[in-house]
Amino acid sequence: MTDITKETIMPPRSFLSQDAIQVFYRLLAALLICAVLAVLSDSFLSLGNILNVLRQASLTFFIASGLTLVVLTAGLDLSVGANVALSACIAGTVIHKTGSPALGILTGLACGGIVGLLNGVMVTALRIPSFIATYGMLWVLNGLTYWYMAGETLHGFPAGFRQIGSGYLFGLPIPVYLLLVFLGIGTFFAQRTIWGQEIYAIGANPVAARLSGIPVARRLLLVYTVSGIMAGLASIIFLSRLNSAEADIGESLTLPAIAAVLIGGTSLFGGVGTVFGTFIGALILTLVLNGMNLLSVSANWQPLVTGIIVILAVWLDMKTRRRAQ
Amino acid sequence: MKRTLGYLTLPLLMAAAFTTQARADGETIAVFTKNQTNPFFQTVRVGADNMAKTLNAKTLQYIPTKPDSIPEQLSQIEDVVVKKPSAIVFTPVDYKAMVPGVEKINEAKIPVVNITDRSAGGKFLSFVGADDYSLGLETARFLLKTLGGKGNIVIIEGVKGSLTNVDRVRGFNDALKENAGAKLLASQPGNYQRLQALQVMENLMQSNSQIDGVLAANDAMAVGAIEALDGANRKAQVIGINGTKEAIDAIKSGKLLASGDYNGFAQGCLGTMMAIRALRNQPVIAEIVLKPTVITKDNYQPFDVPLEQRTCPTFEDASKLGAK
Repeated sequence: MTDITKETIMPPRSFLSQDAIQVFYRLLAALLICAVLAVLSDSFLSLGNILNVLRQASLTFFIASGLTLVVLTAGLDLSVGANVALSACIAGTVIHKTGSPALGILTGLACGGIVGLLNGVMVTALRIPSFIATYGMLWVLNGLTYWYMAGETLHGFPAGFRQIGSGYLFGLPIPVYLLLVFLGIGTFFAQRTIWGQEIYAIGANPVAARLSGIPVARRLLLVYTVSGIMAGLASIIFLSRLNSAEADIGESLTLPAIAAVLIGGTSLFGGVGTVFGTFIGALILTLVLNGMNLLSVSANWQPLVTGIIVILAVWLDMKTRRRAQ
Repeated sequence: MKRTLGYLTLPLLMAAAFTTQARADGETIAVFTKNQTNPFFQTVRVGADNMAKTLNAKTLQYIPTKPDSIPEQLSQIEDVVVKKPSAIVFTPVDYKAMVPGVEKINEAKIPVVNITDRSAGGKFLSFVGADDYSLGLETARFLLKTLGGKGNIVIIEGVKGSLTNVDRVRGFNDALKENAGAKLLASQPGNYQRLQALQVMENLMQSNSQIDGVLAANDAMAVGAIEALDGANRKAQVIGINGTKEAIDAIKSGKLLASGDYNGFAQGCLGTMMAIRALRNQPVIAEIVLKPTVITKDNYQPFDVPLEQRTCPTFEDASKLGAK
C-alpha cells in the first residue's frame, strides 16, 4: 500500500475541523471561569497566580497528553498514576545512589516507557481490553512500589535537579516551557503526521484501519509506550518539584488526568479529540481548584464543586457535538 | 575430652530447654493496620514485631493492598477468623464501618486489642492509642507560642470527614481561639497529599501577602507547604503531624518548626504486649492514651534513631505513659 492511497482514505485533518470547534468551546469555558474568578478575587489575574495555574496544570497535562493518544484509539490507561509513583521512586533512588540526575531522569523515563510497553503488549498481543489490562497493571505497580518503599519516603535531591520542577527561566517556570514544548509536539504529532492520523483512524474504526493497511498493533504499542514515557516525565517533574517521592502519590494523579482528557473533548469511544483540548481540560481543573483556594471556599465544598464542573463539561461537550452533527 | 564435652553439653541442653519453652510460648498475633503507604503504620508494625520477638511470639501482618479499603479489611477479618490466630491487634480502617468486622472477631472468641483509632463498637481487651484532638491542640499551641500568640495562620486539612482530620483540625482551631491575636486566613484541603498541599499553599500565597504560620494535618503536607514557601522565597513557621523521618530531618535543618507525634512505635509495642499478656493470664491495662509529643529542635534526638534500633517500653513504662 502506498502513501498516496492513505492520503485518499484519510486526508490530513484540517485544524478548522470539528475538533477545532470543540476546542473553541472549551477555550470559551476556560475564559468564562477566568472572568468569573477575576471578578471575585483581586489576586486571580496577578502574573504570579497565572504562572501558578500554568505550572500546576503542567503536571496533569504531561500525564494526560500521553493518555489522550491512548483514548484516541478508544483505549484507556488506568495505570498512569501508579506508573508515575513507581518511576518517581526508582528514579529518586538512582539519583540518591549515583548522585547523577541525568541517570535518574533516564531511568525514570525508561521505567515509565517499559510499563507503557507492557500495557501495549497486553492490549495487542494478549488482546486484553485496555481497561482491564491497565487496571491489572495499576495493582502490579502499586504492589511493587509499596514493597520497594516499605512505608519510607525518599527526599532531598541536588539543587540543579530541583531546577527542572521549581526553577525559572526568563521569569517563566521551567515546567511551563516543557508544557509548551510537549503541547507543540503532541499537537503536531496527532494532527500533522501519518502516524497521528493513523491513530485517529484506529480509534474511529479499527476494522477499516486494519483493512486500509495500518499496522494497528504497532501503532497501539507506540501509543501505550508514549503514555508510559509521559508518566515517566511527570515522575521526574514531580520529584524535582516536591523534592521527594513516596509510594502513594499515584492515586491522586490518575483521575485528574483522565478528567482532563475527557473535559478536553476527547471521546472515550475513540477517534475524536485533540491534545490541545486536553491542555484546556487540565487548565480548567486547575483553575477551579485555584479559584476555590483564592476564595477560601470551605474544604467541604471543594470535591463537590470539582465533581459538578467535570460533569457539566462533559455534558456540554456531548450537547455541542450533537448539535454540530 | 569427655569432661570437656560434658561441660559443653550442659549449656547446650539448657539452651535447648529454653528454646523449647520459647516455642511453647509461640502465640501468633494478627496485626491489622490501615495501609502500606503511611509511614506511621510502618512504625506501628515494627513496634508490634519488636514486642512479639521479645515475648517469643510471632506476628502476622494484615494490610489492605488498597489503602484504607473497608471491603478489603472486612475480607481479611473473614480470613483471620478461619485461621484463628491466638489474638488480634486491630486498627480499623474506618472507626464506624468496621464495627461489624469487630463483632465477627468477637463471635469467633478471638481476643482483640484496639490500637490507634478507637473503634465505635465491639468488645476489646484493651485500647492503646492517642487522641488526635490533643495532637492538633498541642502542636498548634506550640506554633502560636513561637509566634508570640499572634499572626496570620493557614490550616491545610487532610481528607475531609476522616476521623484523624476532624479531630486534628478541631484541635488546631481551639488553639487558635485561645490566642486573640491569631487570625485564621484559610482552612483548605490537601487530602494528606504533598502535591496538593504544595499547590494549595502556592494559591494561598497569591491572595495573602503575609502568612506567619502553617498548620498541616500531616508531615507530607507540611513538607509540601515548605516547598511552596521556598519556591516563592517566603518564610513562615510550619508544623506537621506524625513525626516521620522526613519531618525529623526538616526539623534538624530548621525548615520545619515541629511535628506532633503519638508514637506509633509504642502503640504497636503496647498493643501487642497487652494481647500477649492477656493470653498468658497476666494483668492488662484497659486503656492507654499516650500523651502527644511535640517534636522540636530541642527534643528530636530520640526520634532520630532508626526504627529497628528503638526499644519497646516495658509494662511499668506503659502505666506511666498514659494508662487510665
